[in-house]
Amino acid sequence: MNIISVKNLSKEFTFPVKNTKYSWLKNLFYPEIRKVVAVSGISFDVKRGERIAFIGPNGAGKSTTIKMLSGILFPSGGDVDILGLNPSKDRKKLAYRIGTVFGQRSQLLPNLPLTDSLEFYGVMYDMTNEQIKIRIKELVEIFGLESFMDQPVRKLSLGQRMRAEVAVSLIHKPEIIFLDEPTIGLDVVAKKSLRDLLLKINKEENTTIFLTSHDVGDIESLCDRTIIINHGTLIKDLPTEDLTKTFFSEKYIDIIPIHKFKDFPVLTHGIEYLTKEPNKITIRVDINKISVKDSLKELLDIFDIEDIDVYYSDLETVIRNIYERDSTSI
Amino acid sequence: MMKEIKFALYAIKKNIQSSRELRTSFLMNVIGMAINNIAFVFLWVYFVKSVGVIGGWTTYDIIGLNGFTALSYGIIVSIFMGTKKIPEYVTTGSFDRFMLSPKNLILRVATSAFSPSAIGDAIFGIICLSVYGFLIHITIVQIIFVVLLIIFGAIIFFSMSLIINGLSFYFVDASSFTDSVFQLFMTPTLFHGGAFHGVTRFIFTFIIPSLLIAAIPTETVKNLSFHNLIYIGVGSFIWLYIAIRLFKNSVRRYESSNFMTFGN
Repeated sequence: MNIISVKNLSKEFTFPVKNTKYSWLKNLFYPEIRKVVAVSGISFDVKRGERIAFIGPNGAGKSTTIKMLSGILFPSGGDVDILGLNPSKDRKKLAYRIGTVFGQRSQLLPNLPLTDSLEFYGVMYDMTNEQIKIRIKELVEIFGLESFMDQPVRKLSLGQRMRAEVAVSLIHKPEIIFLDEPTIGLDVVAKKSLRDLLLKINKEENTTIFLTSHDVGDIESLCDRTIIINHGTLIKDLPTEDLTKTFFSEKYIDIIPIHKFKDFPVLTHGIEYLTKEPNKITIRVDINKISVKDSLKELLDIFDIEDIDVYYSDLETVIRNIYERDSTSI
Repeated sequence: MMKEIKFALYAIKKNIQSSRELRTSFLMNVIGMAINNIAFVFLWVYFVKSVGVIGGWTTYDIIGLNGFTALSYGIIVSIFMGTKKIPEYVTTGSFDRFMLSPKNLILRVATSAFSPSAIGDAIFGIICLSVYGFLIHITIVQIIFVVLLIIFGAIIFFSMSLIINGLSFYFVDASSFTDSVFQLFMTPTLFHGGAFHGVTRFIFTFIIPSLLIAAIPTETVKNLSFHNLIYIGVGSFIWLYIAIRLFKNSVRRYESSNFMTFGN
């Protein structure tokens, strides 16, 4: 059963721009108005319990879409149905049934202990004192909040704060949770912890997860389906497994030497040099041909390494690859 | 409706708790504003003593006028400070969290912030009205008038704050503009009614309802005018209705943004 249904959804923004041909007075009172199409006719459905990654480069329209789905923005065109409700018309009813987390924006009470924020949102969702107590206990256990429950929120680390943000958004047991860049700014350990917690919530409470992210790791480890948008239009909707095999088949390794690199020996099939500099080498690994583990073993045998960094290609590169692949397959 | 009011009261309680966490700042704000207001009223009293009675307005009326303005302003800005923060919420995109709330949007926004300095205004207003009552040998009926007029004044303050700050949905970074417009409404509330005649009285009563806050209420208490009382009461609810309608329309223009923000 679909719990999110989006048909031809669009959003346009207008804003004044300075025209250098105009005088400052004309620019002030009669500025040129520019129209930007942030989202252009996208359609998709989501079933209960799915974990959706909604990805795209900066300015692709991810946040705008999530804001229209959650009732923050009014669409310029198209239809949205979330849990049988129209977000523009049934904003309050919908708010009882969804949760939201915006990575760059906190919904916590900064001067008060975290426990007050959880209680505040419990009261906001009309929960009884008993229900709030029970739910807080559950969330403290799931998210490991015990050690910093009594600390003022403004004194929490970023990782602690993000765990708290997600916990607060789940206080009323929403059926869908929308997350906009939830792992932004987190270190590797905090990212993994947050992803594990979201998976747990999805498994235990069957909460549908709709997530936007720039981080390929979020998508790969958390989501079972990926929707890719660029310039406001939907360009791919596929199982994450297929996306990983096809487009995330490469990993990159940066190597910093103890001493300067002098020799650059020939590497095994599947590993190749991308840059060769005395102070840094970048290697590309085709993970369909060789695992990261085996690549690292080989590189550690060859080079005296001071530091090493393994990462996916960025989303911009992935999207470029999708376009290239699609154009060659036509 | 009861759920909405219950949550609004709870939000106000949390705001006060949150402000009290920063105790020194809280007390400094309250005391500082009360001292500032006392200095202001002394200035007016000495002015009237030097110049004499203007348009029938005495020193006692000036104290009453300051009491009405300070108390109704203090009540609204302390409890419903959120309306004054709408331009900031809109510019930074932190208005998002109100759109995501299952509560009445206006009540949720209004109770999202608290101003300790406005408590200083309210305390000062109570002191002024007490002194005023003592000086004019206030009767029970006049006390009822004062209470009702304070409620009506607070409703008008709330409505004007909502209308003026709601303009920020139409402009980018509208805070300095809305501040100026609010000052245009606010400043005449502190001038005694004797200064307003004919066209100016009409403008500042019907178009910009500044005189409904304190000048006309002071005259109403002085003359025990039921007619004026009813007229101010009806006027306050008309302004509230206009404010709610305009705000609901304005919200549709909200475009959000992605600034980093914190907040309740």
